[in-house]
Amino acid sequence: MDGAVISQPVMNNEARLVVEGLGVHFADRSALEGISVSFGAGESVSLLGPNGAGKSTLLKVIAGVLPATHGSVRLAGRPIDGTNPAVVYVPQRSSVDWTFPVSVLDVVLMARAQRRSRFGPFRGEDRERALAALDQVGMRPFAPVQIGQLSGGQQQRVFLARALLQDGDVYLLDEPFTGVDVPTQELVVSLFDQLRRTGRTIIYATHDLAQAAKSSDRIFLLNRRLIASGPPSETMTAANLRAAFGGQAIVPLDGGMFGMGEAP
Amino acid sequence: MTDWIVDPLRHTFMQHAFIAILLVGIICGVTGTFVTLRGLAFMGDALSHAIFPGVVIAYVLGGNFLIGALVAAVVVSLGIGLISQSSRLTNDTAIGVLFAGGFALGIALISSQRSYVKDLSTFLLGSILGVSREDLFLTGAIGAVVLGVIAYFRRELTIVAFDRTFAQATGINLWAFDQLFLILLSLAIVISLQTVGNILVLAMLVTPAATARLLTDRLQVMMILSATIGAVSGVVGLYLSYHLSIASGASVVLVATGVFALVFLFAPKTGIVTVAIARRLHFPHPERDIFPTEDPVAVAKADSSRVADGAASKQQDQPLHTG
Repeated sequence: MDGAVISQPVMNNEARLVVEGLGVHFADRSALEGISVSFGAGESVSLLGPNGAGKSTLLKVIAGVLPATHGSVRLAGRPIDGTNPAVVYVPQRSSVDWTFPVSVLDVVLMARAQRRSRFGPFRGEDRERALAALDQVGMRPFAPVQIGQLSGGQQQRVFLARALLQDGDVYLLDEPFTGVDVPTQELVVSLFDQLRRTGRTIIYATHDLAQAAKSSDRIFLLNRRLIASGPPSETMTAANLRAAFGGQAIVPLDGGMFGMGEAP
Repeated sequence: MTDWIVDPLRHTFMQHAFIAILLVGIICGVTGTFVTLRGLAFMGDALSHAIFPGVVIAYVLGGNFLIGALVAAVVVSLGIGLISQSSRLTNDTAIGVLFAGGFALGIALISSQRSYVKDLSTFLLGSILGVSREDLFLTGAIGAVVLGVIAYFRRELTIVAFDRTFAQATGINLWAFDQLFLILLSLAIVISLQTVGNILVLAMLVTPAATARLLTDRLQVMMILSATIGAVSGVVGLYLSYHLSIASGASVVLVATGVFALVFLFAPKTGIVTVAIARRLHFPHPERDIFPTEDPVAVAKADSSRVADGAASKQQDQPLHTG
């Protein structure tokens, strides 16, 4: 698997994406408060927190789908206001109607819909690139299949293929590991590595501590506010996890997996 | 048999009626594809009722009924958007409030007219035998606009219907495309008013598209099938209406419903009778009937994954007005 779909790397050492003083308020509550973080090129960051911590909200603000109440998001030094083709957003699987009468290939080609002439069908080049993206996620044989026939893991792969075809600099993924089988989880991890190597920034939401520790360079512990950020070994202390997850901190502290905070 | 087919065509008004119902069947069939896929049947019903006062006002003032209907449709769809911004009311509540209110306004206005009963029944049930040449041109022109706009924006409309968050993230203006679709839907409804009437127009939007969905897993094929089923139901319905002396709108809708029932029962892959027969042919064991038809392990698995999905969707952070 070489990066057939992904174009050449864009490397630099400065922070590519800077979030400053971000707050998001809904009609009756505040979802995020005072978030200031930055993301570099070639970095994989997981947003970790309990349900309702604002992980999806943060992703949606960066994607330009939700307006921030205050604060700013800057991409390569420029404020982003609304959507930007360099920012690729992969929604939660559950946000989509999987009985919709489209094929796997149709869904992947949605990545090119905005760039194509309104008249006439997609060109052969688009199809080839879409098929190559499907190849990268091991779904090429499923190209003509209606999406309702797919398993959860396969659905996630189709979303990933569409995201690959969008070919952005920043990839935002909402719960890419939720409800998918182990081979798909491994595939997602290897895709992240590939994207990282070509200088892409990956930001994904999860509430799986083990997965976050395994497949990210940095972890942002989030619960409406930023609780901690840094490499997994430094962030996942008992105190931090308790602060983020509160009463839910019972979750997976078993097996001493993240016990490093207790007695270093 | 030849007489049965040719006889109605001797009358000019029937020729007009056939052309009108063909156009309506095709246009509603294509537009209805998006209505059924987006679950907007209630919205379609609401629009057709809410358009009513606009048509009546135009009629009372002696203006063009089309303009009246369009103004009403835009006002109502904006109103629905506005009301559903309230965090305490859902979208279909907003639709319910406006559609009943609009319909009442229409009835109030028309009841002040002298020929109240006749006018009302014309609006509600259509009067396909009174379609003039000018009406046909107007229907054709509006239909061409509707189909043209759908073809032009087919990719955006599909993405908006399938994956709204992705649509937004790729820079598609959801609000604009929702309004555009509501206007297209209003146009399709308006040109159907004369042929099938206000009450039954929903059937032309929903039934052929639902039938087509049972027959295919491809969007484009679904549109073509839906338009074909709409048009054929229209023509057959008109013949039955002519020969059996029943109301044309009702006759057309009954044929479409009959086609739906047939497909629902006997479609090659999805019909419930077809599937049952195929299962029997596949497993010709007399004992099999005492076993549950579904694999209990698979059912349990599906259930647990559904629970997981539910948990995942619960923690979506959506501002209330986009939900």
